[in-house]
Amino acid sequence: MPYLDQYTQPLTAATAAHLLRRATFGPTQTEITNFTGLTAAQAVQQLINNANYSPPPPIDLDSTQPTAGQTYLDKPFNGDRAFDFGNYLRHWWLGLMTSQTALPSLLDKLTLFWQNHFVTTFTIVGDYRYVYQYLQLLRNNALGNFRTLVTKISKEPAMLAYLNGNENEVGKPNENYARELQELFTVGAFDFAGNKNYSEDDVKAVARVLTGWKNTNSWVVGSTSFGTTFTLSKHDKLDKVFSASYNNTIPNNTIVGRSTATAGDDELNDLVTMLLKHPQTPRFICRKLYRWYVNPNVTQTIEDNVIIPLAQFFASAQNNYAIQPVIVKLLTSQIFFDDSNRGAIVKSPVELAVGTMRFFNQPVPDMTTDYAAFKVYFDFMFWRMYDMQMALIDQPSVFGYEPYYQTGYSKIWMNTTTIALRSDYTDAYIWRWLEVKPGYKMGIDVLAWATSLQPNFSDVAGTAPISCVDVQVAFSKNLFATDLFQSQKDFLIDTIMMQGIPRSSWTFEWNAYRTAPTDTNKRNGVTWRLQNLMKYMLRMAEYHIS
Amino acid sequence: MKRRDFLTAASASLLPVMLNGFGLKAMSRQSVLVQSLLGTTALASDRVLVIIYLNGGNDGLNMVIPRDQYSLYNGLRSNIAIPEGAILGLDGNPATGLHPAMTGLRDLYNNGKLSILHSVSYPNPDQSHYRATDIWMTAVDANQTSNSGWAGRYLENQFPGYPAGYPNAQMEDPLAIQIGYLTSTALLGSQQSMGIALSDPNSFYQLVGSGNGTSPGDLPCCDAGDLVAFIRKQQALSVGYASEIKKAADAGQNLAAYPDATAKNSLADQLKIVARLIHGGLKTKIYFVSLSGFDTHSGQVDTDVTQGTHATLLGKLSTAVATFQQDLKLQGTEDRVVGMTFSEFGRRANSNNSKGTDHGVAAPMFVFGNGLKHRTIGQNPDLANLIGQSGSKEIGMQIDFRRVYSDILNDWFGTAHATTNSLLFREFPTVSLFSDTIETVASGNWKDKNVWTVGRMPFANELVKVNAGHTMTVDQTIMVKNIRLEGKLNFTGPYSIKMTG
Repeated sequence: MPYLDQYTQPLTAATAAHLLRRATFGPTQTEITNFTGLTAAQAVQQLINNANYSPPPPIDLDSTQPTAGQTYLDKPFNGDRAFDFGNYLRHWWLGLMTSQTALPSLLDKLTLFWQNHFVTTFTIVGDYRYVYQYLQLLRNNALGNFRTLVTKISKEPAMLAYLNGNENEVGKPNENYARELQELFTVGAFDFAGNKNYSEDDVKAVARVLTGWKNTNSWVVGSTSFGTTFTLSKHDKLDKVFSASYNNTIPNNTIVGRSTATAGDDELNDLVTMLLKHPQTPRFICRKLYRWYVNPNVTQTIEDNVIIPLAQFFASAQNNYAIQPVIVKLLTSQIFFDDSNRGAIVKSPVELAVGTMRFFNQPVPDMTTDYAAFKVYFDFMFWRMYDMQMALIDQPSVFGYEPYYQTGYSKIWMNTTTIALRSDYTDAYIWRWLEVKPGYKMGIDVLAWATSLQPNFSDVAGTAPISCVDVQVAFSKNLFATDLFQSQKDFLIDTIMMQGIPRSSWTFEWNAYRTAPTDTNKRNGVTWRLQNLMKYMLRMAEYHIS
Repeated sequence: MKRRDFLTAASASLLPVMLNGFGLKAMSRQSVLVQSLLGTTALASDRVLVIIYLNGGNDGLNMVIPRDQYSLYNGLRSNIAIPEGAILGLDGNPATGLHPAMTGLRDLYNNGKLSILHSVSYPNPDQSHYRATDIWMTAVDANQTSNSGWAGRYLENQFPGYPAGYPNAQMEDPLAIQIGYLTSTALLGSQQSMGIALSDPNSFYQLVGSGNGTSPGDLPCCDAGDLVAFIRKQQALSVGYASEIKKAADAGQNLAAYPDATAKNSLADQLKIVARLIHGGLKTKIYFVSLSGFDTHSGQVDTDVTQGTHATLLGKLSTAVATFQQDLKLQGTEDRVVGMTFSEFGRRANSNNSKGTDHGVAAPMFVFGNGLKHRTIGQNPDLANLIGQSGSKEIGMQIDFRRVYSDILNDWFGTAHATTNSLLFREFPTVSLFSDTIETVASGNWKDKNVWTVGRMPFANELVKVNAGHTMTVDQTIMVKNIRLEGKLNFTGPYSIKMTG
C-alpha cells in the first residue's frame, strides 16, 4: 500500500465525514455536504485557512457580577474570582471548538493535541492568566514550528510552575522538567523496539542546562503583569556533558556552560538543537500524531511505512520541523483514508460532547451578548466531560489523558461506568431537560425532524406517508463512522422503534398525527417511537467510535 | 449454584482425588500434603486483596524513618527531615519510626496487623513515572515488557475466558473492581481488563439501568469491529453486574467511622465502598484503589516540617487504612482481607532545594491485615552506604517487589507455586509474609540479612528453619523461638542456639 502517498479521489460524504471527524471535533451535515467533491488536499487546506487566530477574548460569564460580560485578562489579577475565571477560559475554548457559525477549522483539535502533549493543568498552575497565555502559545504555534514550540514552552510561566522549572537552580537542581522534556515532550523514553533513548545522567545534565529560569507574579492579587526571568547567578555555568544516546549531535556531546546575560537562552537553544537531532524525536512526535489522527494501533508495518518516513520528512533539512506540512501530509494520505482506519478510534469525551452538539446543530449562544446562556451551555458540557474522565486543561498527570499513552489506548475511555455516563449524556439530547435559555431547550426535536421529511405534510389523502425505514435512514445519515448491517437496521426499526409490532402500524400512527398535528396523543404516539430510535442509536457502540 | 455450595462441592470432589487414594485418617493434620491442600484454592476462595496505589513516587524515607541513623538522615535532607522527637516509635522496634501523621498505622503495627517491608524495588530500577509504574503493575524485569498486569494474569488464570460467558453462576460478581473511572494496568488480562471501574455503587445501578435489548452481533471490519465488540461487551458487563453490585451495596454496612467529607480523604472514601461491598457479600477478589499527589518535587513540607503536602497524604493513608481495618474487624470480615500499598518508586535520599525530593529508587511497602506473621521484613536502609554521588544518593533494593506478589499469590490466594511462577515469569523466593517460619535462602553467616527470607536476622521470638543444602555459620550465641534444622550449622567457637519457646 502506498501509505503516505496522497489520496486523490474526490471526497464522498463518507470520506469527507471521516476527515472532519478526525481533523475537527465532528462535522455538521452542512459541512459534510460542502466538503463532498473536494480533493483531500483542498479540504485540508480549507481546514487550515479557516483558522481564526484572533477570536474575542474570554469574558466574565457570571451574570450576578458587576463585571459580567467584560473581559478580565486585561485587568489586575483577581484572586477571589480566579477559579471562575479559569473555568470561563475553558468555556471560551469549548466555544471555539463547538461553534457552528465559524467555518470548520482543524486548529483547536490540533491545539488540544499539543495541550495534551505539553501538559500543564489549571488545577496546579492556578493563575488563569498563565493558563491563557500558555494556551495561546500552543494555539498560535500549533501549525508552526516544533522547535519554536519546544523552546518557548520550556520558559513559559505555566510550564515553569507546573514542572518546577522555577525551582531549578545551580547546585540545587530540580529535575522534574528536565526528565519530562526528554521523556514526554521530545525524544520519548523508549524507541519502538523498547530501547532507552537517554540515560538518568542525561536527566541531571538537562536540569543543569535549564537552571536560572523563574516565572513572576504567579497568583499575585492585583498584579497587572507577569512573565519569565532568567537570573545568571542561579544558572549553572559549567559544561554539561551528555551520554552517547545523543551521539555527538552537538560537539563532544557537550553543551558549553555560558556566563553572559543570555546564557539561559543560548544554552536552551543548544539543548533544543540536541533534542531535535535525536533520531527518535521526530518519530516520537509523528507516532503520537498518527495515534491522535489515524489509529492508536501502531504495528511494525505502520512504523516502517508511515512513522519513519513521516519523521524523516518532519526533521528533514528542507522541512526543519515545520508542523503544518506534516499535518497536511498525514491528513491527505492514503493510509488516513484507508477503510481499515474508519472507526478505529473510540471518541474521546470532548469528541462525543462537542461532536454531538455540532452534528445536531445545537447553536452556541453568542458569548458576548448572550453570556448567561453561553455559560449554561458550556457548564453542562464541561462537567459532563469531566465526569467522563476528560477534564479540559486538567489532565490527571503530565502524561496527558491515559487513553493517549496507556496500553489499550482509546478503549480506556470505555468501561462499565463511563459507558453509563456517556449514555446519560446522549440521553439528554432526547429528553431535552436542559434549558439553555427561555425558548431554547438543548436537544433534538425528533418530531420536527421527521415532520420535515414528509412531503406535503397536510395532504394525507394524496401524498404517501414516510415509512419507518425512511425515518431510520434519515436519522442515521452520516451518524456513524461505519456502515450498519441490514440486520442492525431491521433491529432498530422492528425492535427499538416499533417495539415488535408491524411496520405498517407506523403508517397508521404517522397519518393520524398528520391529520391532527396538534393532538397531544397523536403527537406522542409517534414521538416516543422516534425518541426510542434516536436514543438507542446514540447509545450504540457504533456511535462511540470515530 | 450459589458460590458457597459450589465451594463445598468443589472441595468435596477435589479432596479425595488429590489425596490420590490415601485416607485422610492415614495422615496427620501436620502432614505437608494436608497442609498444602488446606492452603489451596478451596480455602482461599473467600479471600480478598486490596491494592493501594500511591501515585507519583512516595518519599519512603520520610514515611518510615531510620531512627538509628538520625544524624545521617538529617544530613541528607535537613530542609525536610522530620525532627527526631516527632517521629512515632514502634513497639519492639527502636531502630525504626513512622512519620508523625501516621498514628493509625503505628497502632496497626503495634497490634501486629501491619508489616513494613523495607527498601522494596527491583534490579536496574527505572525513574520514569510511566515505565516504573508499568514495571510494578506488570511485574516484569526492567528490560522486559508485558501487555498484561500481574493481578490480571492471576484472575485470567482463575477465571479463564473472561469476559465471554460472565457473569455466570459460579462467578456472578466482577472479578476485580477499581474504585474510580478507569481501570489500571495491574488488572489487565491478555486481551482486556479483568476488572471493572466503579465510582459509586449507589449511582451505578441507576446510571446503568437494565439495558434494552441487544443489537445483532454483526461487526464492521478491522479495528472498528474490535472496538465495537469491546464496547458492546462492556455495556453487557455493566448491565450484568449492576444489580449484583447494588445488592451487595444494599446488604453491606460500614461499621467504623470514616473521615467525613470535609477531610477530603479520597482514599478513605474509596476504602469505605470496598468494605461495604465486602460486607455485602460481593465475591470480587481484588479491589484497586489509589491516592494521588506523591510526586513531591517541591514543597513537600511546610515551615513546620511535620506538616505539608506529604504529611497530609501520609495522614490520609494512615487514617484510611486504619479505619478500613477497624471496619473489617467490626464486620467480622477481617480474616478474609489483606491489603498492600505500592508506589512506582521511592524518592532520592537527598532532598532538593525546593523542600522536595526528586525521583529515587527503593521505598518501603506496607502490607496490612490479620494474617501477617512478621511486622518487619528487611531492615532500615544503610544511610552510610547509599548508591550514587554525594548530593545524589539513592536507596538501593533489599527486597524485590515480586517476592511480595509471589507470597500473596501462593500463600494468600493459594495458587499452586508452579502457576505463580509462570504468572510472575519466574520463581521468586518467599519473604515469609504469611509464614511463621523464617527460612534460609542460601548458605552464609547467620548475621547476614541476605540469607534470610525476611531480609534480616530472625528475632528471638521467631521460628527458624535452615533449609536442606544450606550451611549457616554461627559466630555468636543466637536466640530464636525454635529451630528446625534440615541443613547444617557451623559453629566457629563456643556458641549455641537458645530456644525461647
